Amino acid sequence: MGIVDIFGYVLWPFKWVIEAILVGFHGFWSAIGLDPNDGLTWILSILGLVIVVRSALIPLFVRQIKSQRKMLELAPQLKKIQEKYKGKRDQFSREAMSRETMELYRHHGTSPFSSCLPLVAQMPIFFSLFQVLETAQRNPNAGGVGLLTPALANSFGASKLFGAPLHETIGSGVNALGKGGTAGDVLVVVIGIFMVALMTITQFVTQLQIMSKNVSPETKASPMYRQQRMLLYVLPLVFIFSGIAFPLGVMFYWVFSNLWTMGQQFIVIRNSPTPGSEAAKAREVRLAKKAERKRERSGEPLEAPVVEAPHPKVNTQRTQPVGRARAKRTGERRA
Amino acid sequence: MKVLLLLPRNIEIAVLRFYRAVISPLYGDVCRYHPSCSRYALEAVQQSGAVVGTALAVWRVLRCNPWSRGGVDDPPARLSTSYRITTHGFVRPAEQPGG
Repeated sequence: MGIVDIFGYVLWPFKWVIEAILVGFHGFWSAIGLDPNDGLTWILSILGLVIVVRSALIPLFVRQIKSQRKMLELAPQLKKIQEKYKGKRDQFSREAMSRETMELYRHHGTSPFSSCLPLVAQMPIFFSLFQVLETAQRNPNAGGVGLLTPALANSFGASKLFGAPLHETIGSGVNALGKGGTAGDVLVVVIGIFMVALMTITQFVTQLQIMSKNVSPETKASPMYRQQRMLLYVLPLVFIFSGIAFPLGVMFYWVFSNLWTMGQQFIVIRNSPTPGSEAAKAREVRLAKKAERKRERSGEPLEAPVVEAPHPKVNTQRTQPVGRARAKRTGERRA
Repeated sequence: MKVLLLLPRNIEIAVLRFYRAVISPLYGDVCRYHPSCSRYALEAVQQSGAVVGTALAVWRVLRCNPWSRGGVDDPPARLSTSYRITTHGFVRPAEQPGG
């Protein structure tokens, strides 16, 4: 049994579910009047797949925001650790600092990190989609592993967007052009390059959003951060090379998924930014402005920016004199 | 002979190093543990070999889920003294003194 076979067995359930979702959406779009064999219908089905997959991950995302709020309580302790290792840039100090920080998170049962499993779990989906598309292209008559019948696989494999077959890659398009290709091949290359650009831009914006806005000044000073920042500019090159190898259909999945991540990230950074980061300051400014607008509308004087207690409690009962010891204990003012 | 036995381990180390250099930065910091899952995988494969190391790494990724508390979690140190880890992370037989 080769490594490819093992891979196939592991991916089987993923492929089955992906096919079911794709075929489900394809049926839906066809039912409301779209041409079942058109590339657009299949792309909308891929969009449906992205929505289903990413929606399933929303609870994790909400959990993440909640734990981010809890992080505020840890801020003083985090600062203590950062003070301890202040100015120490060597590898061993950073390692020790990271260990202490992680132990602190564990102790308090909260973490700013989203964990690895959800990300890893998305990888088989991507591979499965790749394989489903591959099958539709090379051996459509065999059909998929489940609901994707040979007829549907043929439709998917032959579907075109504006005349560009979805199963083609930039590489195969260029190849075909070398042998005197058709207008469709030109379109494959054009759409492919457009998709790679879109993929790169969305990924770049998402990363830049996190790195420039949602990072505390302490992190910004670390050498790790500078290294990551450099990678930010190298990554688009990686995308260009990988984009050449992926069929258009897979690229659409990737772009839709990136767009979703970008939007999600935007919401997180806006509503629960990392304490001390630029985004957190921007949020404070925004909240202050909002409060001011509210005050203006309610007609309160601008000269009173200090928020007073809404209704000072009127105590009709006489305050009993409190002994010195008791005053100290309860924090009450001695009358 | 020893070099041949180490081949699967070193191939996997190469793959993991590639992943850590190229793909991992795409996600930023996500791991709830220290060391991160990918570094744990790399160290586990270095220390325990391709089969056991992979199993340890898979178990670690499964544990690194939204419900876990995370924290410090190092892979077991198992490497025999007759091997050494190079500066690039690959595992080689240790040179015998004078040999």
